[in-house]
Amino acid sequence: MLLSRVHLQLIVFAVVLATASLMLSGAMVIRNYMGTNLRLAADTVAYSAEPAMVFQDQQAMDEAIAAIAGYPSVDRVELRDAAGHVLSVWNRPHSDARGWLVSHLNQLVWPQPTRAVVKHSEAPIGEVLVYGNSGGILRFIVAALLIAASCIGLSILGTRILARHLQQGVIGPLEQVARIAHEVRQQRAFEKRVPAAGIAEIDRFGQDFNALLAELQAWHTGMMSENAELKARARHDELTGLGNRSLFESTAQQAIASGQTLALILIDVAGFKALNASHGFESGDAALIAVAQRLNTVLRGDDAAFRIGGDEFAVLLVPAPESSGVEAAIDWIRVAMDDAVRLPDGAEVRIELGIGQASCPQDGTTIGELLTKADPAMLPASR
Amino acid sequence: MGMRTLKHLLAAVAASLSLTAYAADMPLGVSPGGDPYAGAVARTVGAVLEYSHWPQPRSQMILCVAGNAQHASQIGNQRLSDGRQVMRRNVAAQPSALAGCDVVYIGSIPLAAQRQLTGAVRGRGVLTIAENDPGSSSEAMFALTYKPGGLSFRLNIDAVSRSGLRVDPRVLRVAKSGG
Repeated sequence: MLLSRVHLQLIVFAVVLATASLMLSGAMVIRNYMGTNLRLAADTVAYSAEPAMVFQDQQAMDEAIAAIAGYPSVDRVELRDAAGHVLSVWNRPHSDARGWLVSHLNQLVWPQPTRAVVKHSEAPIGEVLVYGNSGGILRFIVAALLIAASCIGLSILGTRILARHLQQGVIGPLEQVARIAHEVRQQRAFEKRVPAAGIAEIDRFGQDFNALLAELQAWHTGMMSENAELKARARHDELTGLGNRSLFESTAQQAIASGQTLALILIDVAGFKALNASHGFESGDAALIAVAQRLNTVLRGDDAAFRIGGDEFAVLLVPAPESSGVEAAIDWIRVAMDDAVRLPDGAEVRIELGIGQASCPQDGTTIGELLTKADPAMLPASR
Repeated sequence: MGMRTLKHLLAAVAASLSLTAYAADMPLGVSPGGDPYAGAVARTVGAVLEYSHWPQPRSQMILCVAGNAQHASQIGNQRLSDGRQVMRRNVAAQPSALAGCDVVYIGSIPLAAQRQLTGAVRGRGVLTIAENDPGSSSEAMFALTYKPGGLSFRLNIDAVSRSGLRVDPRVLRVAKSGG
């Protein structure tokens, strides 16, 4: 997560910077404060040890020095006489573990002891040397480091939470959008929609995306239905609704290619030109529609009727029944035509059909052969 | 100055309890003659004078050695470190003999006589040091005490507060109690 990493780096940088500057300035402030303290301690010892030195009272000198043992910034106190001989010493007790570190730090922070001259009646009679103790600074530094560490820890936690929120609120929804776009492209799944994310900007984006998807879906659906309609129109006869010659040929071709037997019944309307001439084209059309409807009523489920020419119809029986079955179908068709058709001009006519038949593979294995064989015009008996 | 206030408070508490503070030992050092304490006594008396202040500062002080003193042989005319000049004068152990004395070093005389002397100068700005007062009942401001290895002194806070002098409170630290 780039966002989370950048956040974290920024925060760690800020915390380290703040801690370092605070630690430095804090340590300097503490050192100055402790310097004042040491000066005060040295002056105090010089003042209170003066009579003890004048009276040469060792115990009083020790006590004068020990009186500043409460100063935490004092590590060691020496009382020297004018000749430089050490009269009394006090040392802060140290535990071994911290003592090593503290004594080194003392050397670093307080390389020189704070000195105060012991004066008696304006004449110097000795000197006090106070060595600083850096334990306070060490504690401050350790505390600052601990605080910095916990700050960084908290920041990491916060960044994680923030990153998760961003992930959930922004990046997650964007990924969702990308996934849906992918699915739409790959699977044409135009019905997919982006769910609401709960963040206004992302939601607006999602809504726009959804609107776009909806438009695409509508467009796609329209295209599909138009295509289907065009396809249907291309393969069906508009007048009767039956399949046209193209559909007939492809259907027959498909059946032949797949090795199925088929029976073809070819039908033409006898006297169709005369009907057109005497009753008009509308009546001719009505007669054709009636033939188509009646053919449909007598066909079994898998059989199909086609209008393959002006007054020519074809019925495909796939697979081919027994020859008696074909004859039966032809009989059914003839029976269906028994009723007279009422023409638009009010006249009623009986439609006579010329019917021929052919079977594949007995009569041929191409559509041309079958059509030639089944042509009713070639069958004088049916006329 | 907090330390000074503290000292005054301590002094007041000690005075109200009518306690006597005890000093640690002044090393004896080398003394010519037979008295091992003579040098230490002279140094201690000098230091006591240096830490004592009179209401009217003076450049010259008269130290009267009253009666027969055993350890005062080295107390003489001396100049203190602050420049004051000390003049020694031997006087009789009688109140009438103390006129003009700034300091009275009370020799080894009977206790009643010691009390007479201290009573005579009380409140008049005279510093009193008792040479021989083991029971601290002379009512002198300072009483010398002798130990095999050194000299120490006790401070009678009650007497100090009544003396009319100001003794540096830091002397209290030197004259610590329980000696």
